[in-house]
Amino acid sequence: MRRPAALLALCAALVMSTQAAAAELPQRWVSAGGALSEWISALGGEQRLVGVDTTSQHPDALTALPSIGYQRQLSAEGILSLRPDLLVGTDEMGPPPVLTQIRQAGVRVEVFSSKAELAALDANLEKLGRLLGEEGRAGLLAGQFHHELNAVQTKLKQAQAVQKAPGVLLLVGHAGAKPLIAGAGTAGDWLLGQAGGRNLAVHQGYKNFSVEALAALDPDVIVIADRSLSGEQAVQALLKENPGLASSRAVREKRLVSLDPTLLVGGLGPRLPATLQQLAGEFYPQAKASFAP
Amino acid sequence: MKQRVQPRTLFIGLSLLCLLAVWLSLALGPVSLPLLDTLRAGLRLLGVPIAADGLEQAELILGQIRLPRTLLGLAVGAVLALSGVAMQGLFRNPLADPGLVGVASGAALGAAIAIVGGSWLGGIPEWFAPYLLSVCAFAGGLGVTALVYRLGRRDGQTNVATMLLAGIALTALAGSAVGLFTYLADDATLRTLTFWNLGSLNGASYARLWPLLVVTLAVALWLPRRAQALNALLLGESEARHLGVEVESLKRELVFCTALAVGAAVAAAGLIGFIGLVVPHLVRLLAGPDHRVLLPASLLAGGSLLLFADLVARLALAPAELPIGIVTAFIGAPFFLLLLLKGRH
Repeated sequence: MRRPAALLALCAALVMSTQAAAAELPQRWVSAGGALSEWISALGGEQRLVGVDTTSQHPDALTALPSIGYQRQLSAEGILSLRPDLLVGTDEMGPPPVLTQIRQAGVRVEVFSSKAELAALDANLEKLGRLLGEEGRAGLLAGQFHHELNAVQTKLKQAQAVQKAPGVLLLVGHAGAKPLIAGAGTAGDWLLGQAGGRNLAVHQGYKNFSVEALAALDPDVIVIADRSLSGEQAVQALLKENPGLASSRAVREKRLVSLDPTLLVGGLGPRLPATLQQLAGEFYPQAKASFAP
Repeated sequence: MKQRVQPRTLFIGLSLLCLLAVWLSLALGPVSLPLLDTLRAGLRLLGVPIAADGLEQAELILGQIRLPRTLLGLAVGAVLALSGVAMQGLFRNPLADPGLVGVASGAALGAAIAIVGGSWLGGIPEWFAPYLLSVCAFAGGLGVTALVYRLGRRDGQTNVATMLLAGIALTALAGSAVGLFTYLADDATLRTLTFWNLGSLNGASYARLWPLLVVTLAVALWLPRRAQALNALLLGESEARHLGVEVESLKRELVFCTALAVGAAVAAAGLIGFIGLVVPHLVRLLAGPDHRVLLPASLLAGGSLLLFADLVARLALAPAELPIGIVTAFIGAPFFLLLLLKGRH
């Protein structure tokens, strides 16, 4: 009689303890970072999100959640009104006094790196996995990300044996008008390099160029990240607003590629490998078939 | 003769309005607290011993978020309106606003230097880093105003017209310097700079509040003592001098008070336009140009108006927040136009 009772008690204790562990994981999440929100979704944590910032646009379902505004202008009471257990964001999140107020209210605040670096991504994924109780899946996704990036690099080496790296420019614009050129130190620069492009712009950050200066750089390929138009529309708008570009090699040879501008903010996101494949395919047309995902 | 509101009625009305603004600012927010909890938490904050059962959340939101924010709003609104009166009195021009002597553009320049340059500088001690922006904005406002004042002086006399032109020139100069910093800024700092220029009461804390409260108190006590002299100045400088007013020292005081007050307000909450220009106008339309009424009434009206604007700023898009500068202009400007049109008939 004694023994079954003890066994029962032990079982009950075990059940209780696993339940306690699950309960300790934060259940209500607010995310203030586009790439972080994407990773949370990819790790199956989408239903835990109760609010996201304005940079969280992917997947589409996130846009239906309450918006906490721009990641640098968060409002303490606004976020507290969502009764979150956890606020995640990149090191760009702020302002700092608001984060202090949120911490004081007993909400856990976790800050992630926004650097466009693989090491930062690994650390971020590991931490997210831990917070979601999905360590295994996070490790898997990180491995997959590395694998896909490495695969692109291998294929690039083969492609570069046949064709030398094209000179490229990344233009960030609004319906084609007055585009900013992505220079060194930007996420766009990293993206171009990873896709085997040689960024012709060497300045720091995003800067305005005159059309003449653009044409003088004579890029082989122009990548357009347009905030209000996408695809062919973005290309057409750019050519319409900047007729001077028509003389450049990229336009003559019709090598203009459109890129989703949301890929350029808030660190490395899960959609990146596919984008790199697509860009690399455009940069190395002879090897395009090999870059098909 | 237009109908004017009796000062007594005006003060009672404005005081009630101010109390209402304070109460709403404390009671409303994106987090909906039951009215009773707000009251009990408020009493606890005042030191009344009440059992704390289940009040932690209410007390924290009231004490750490809404109360500092309300105090900041009151102080910023009050000093902006007071400085507006001082500047309109000094320049004897209803279009004058505190920006005219360069304090706002100087503060913006200081802020741009802090926001853009701070990231290059690096080696700032950690305890000072959060205050760098405020200190630079304050110093910039004070510095440019001092320069404007200096340029307006000749042979021991301050020429108001020269000062006005110097203010315009230095504002343009500071504006182009801010433009240069904007150009040099990277994406993230650019966003910070843009939002700073729109002002916000977000993230108010006691540590940042007290310097502004001290300045507000000093200016609010000092300026009304000069109400009679400001009234005399309305007649013209030489007339005021004949009436026994020390015109030179009055000008110096007005410029100094404005630089100090607006500098402190801008350092604490960023650039908030409209209040300094329009609140004195509103009060003048209601109560006439007597500075003995105008100064204290503008103080009350400025504080209340800013609190109401802040309520809109934090509730309209909750849980996100609007910059308050957008709201003050959006509500205030049409209201002002309405009063102007009504006053014409």
